[in-house]
Amino acid sequence: MHKTLEHVSESQSGAVPRSKRRKTSLTRQRERIGMLSSLPALIFVIALMFFPIGFATWLSFEKTNGVYYHFIGLKNYTALFSSPLVHQVFRTNLKFLIAIPVVITLGSLTSVLLYQEIYGWRFYRFVFFLPSVLSASVTGIIFRTAFTYDGPVNSALKIFGFQPINFLVHANSAIFVISLALIWAGFGYAMLILLSGLTAIDSDLFLAAQVDGAGWWRQFQYIVIPSIRNQLVFVTTINIMYTFTSLFGFIFVMTAGGPLFSTTTVDYLVFQKAFSSQDMGQGSALAILVFGIIALLTLTQAKYLRTDAQD
Amino acid sequence: MQKLSWQMQLLISMVLGSVALSTLWPLFYVLVTSSRTLNDYLTNIYGIPKEFTFSNFQILWKNYSLGLAARNTIEVVGISMVCCLTLSSLAGFGLAKYPYRGSKYVNWAFIAIMLLPSTVLIIPIYLVLSKLHLVGHLPGLMIVYIATNIPFSVFFLRAAFKAVPDSILEAARIDGAGFFRTFRSIAMPSAKASFTTLAVLQFLGMWNELLYAYLILPDQSTRLLTPALANIGGRYTSNPPLVAAALVITATPTLVLLAFSSKYLVRGVTSGIGSS
Repeated sequence: MHKTLEHVSESQSGAVPRSKRRKTSLTRQRERIGMLSSLPALIFVIALMFFPIGFATWLSFEKTNGVYYHFIGLKNYTALFSSPLVHQVFRTNLKFLIAIPVVITLGSLTSVLLYQEIYGWRFYRFVFFLPSVLSASVTGIIFRTAFTYDGPVNSALKIFGFQPINFLVHANSAIFVISLALIWAGFGYAMLILLSGLTAIDSDLFLAAQVDGAGWWRQFQYIVIPSIRNQLVFVTTINIMYTFTSLFGFIFVMTAGGPLFSTTTVDYLVFQKAFSSQDMGQGSALAILVFGIIALLTLTQAKYLRTDAQD
Repeated sequence: MQKLSWQMQLLISMVLGSVALSTLWPLFYVLVTSSRTLNDYLTNIYGIPKEFTFSNFQILWKNYSLGLAARNTIEVVGISMVCCLTLSSLAGFGLAKYPYRGSKYVNWAFIAIMLLPSTVLIIPIYLVLSKLHLVGHLPGLMIVYIATNIPFSVFFLRAAFKAVPDSILEAARIDGAGFFRTFRSIAMPSAKASFTTLAVLQFLGMWNELLYAYLILPDQSTRLLTPALANIGGRYTSNPPLVAAALVITATPTLVLLAFSSKYLVRGVTSGIGSS
């Protein structure tokens, strides 16, 4: 008995390697295909994204204008941390964050109304998303033109008997106008993301709530908001990241960072340090700091996102 | 969700209507202004134009070489899109259906780098490109657009190709179809909707991009539309109709695209988060 079993297992083990060998050559071929097909894309990304991160890190320890290089250790970083301008720029960035609650509030209210298929909802969905496809340079110039001293907004103010305001030459009013442009351009995107979360809600929940006598506002509070939690977290973090990394287009065409650096944001300062004052080392150090902030935000987001098991 | 009372509906419609108006009116205003003469505009900036003119567009086309900028933009966006879509769909298909040792890490690499802001890249990329004498040449910008668009595209297409049933691919293999044949005749047709969505997103991203375009192509002869627009907008503040015409030229293609592909665009925008 024992012997036969051994015999059987032996004959099986003799058969396995042959089929395994055949399988390996096929698998190996498939592996080669997979490798070769993803290689060109990978090379592009390594050469123009991964390598530059390393290069920027190295540059951040150098004093350089792009031609001469000189190792100075952490001096770029210490200079940044002690620079009043950098402090001011980060404070300006924080001020731009005021646009986000507005975007989220507007976005969630409109998305719920669209979800309820309020009269004309398809039209609203199209119109509210419209500014999202415009370039920051287009939106920026529209708003700058609208808010110049003798532009349409001031003309309207004058018609209603107000004094015209020189919006773009004062720090806070300039930030206000830029934030307005950000809201105008950004809330349609938030709305669509939140709407996609809403459509996934089980409508039985609302029925049950109605049976329990919950009104519109309570349903919004206790069903809608918890159900679109993931989308809310996503929209919030994406907008915070955007505030620290993608305001360049708006600032560049609306105020060029002025008056006197008062609307200069972090990403705009990186650009200025590198290409106006030829201080690429300090520019890189600042860029690496921004990179750190983004990495931190991404990790925080991952922690708050309730992920379903996806591959 | 509970229906709102009709009074509430009316009130909300009025609020939403005014928000819609604040979106549409500036665009309409720009369009009207672009067809006015400067004198006509200055007499009454809200007025109805006395005469329609195309002179602003003609001036931009001739004197400010916006036609050339448009051609450069179309060339850069077109070639970059073709290259990026080709490389990304090959990689996406390979990673979805031909896993290899380490393919998991390659996939992670694309995902990890997806949100990298251009702020981090501009200085090193500028230095590399100037070493390679590519600053000031269209291909320099093209390779940047191709590379920076690859991570999301691979991520997006990999998900689309994952949905293609293995049994069909297996059947194709037994019928003797090789990688490219399977890719072309089975994978691509089944991922057509995702592919279109991605193409729309890429077009918008590249067409609207300003920072790289401004840095890598600084000369008038190779300038793209967005930097040209920024330049005109900065220099001719006293001539709003001219600026408006430049805005119309830059914005029209993206708005037309939205009108024709809003279905795909909505899909693309909402695919970034796992709710699909």
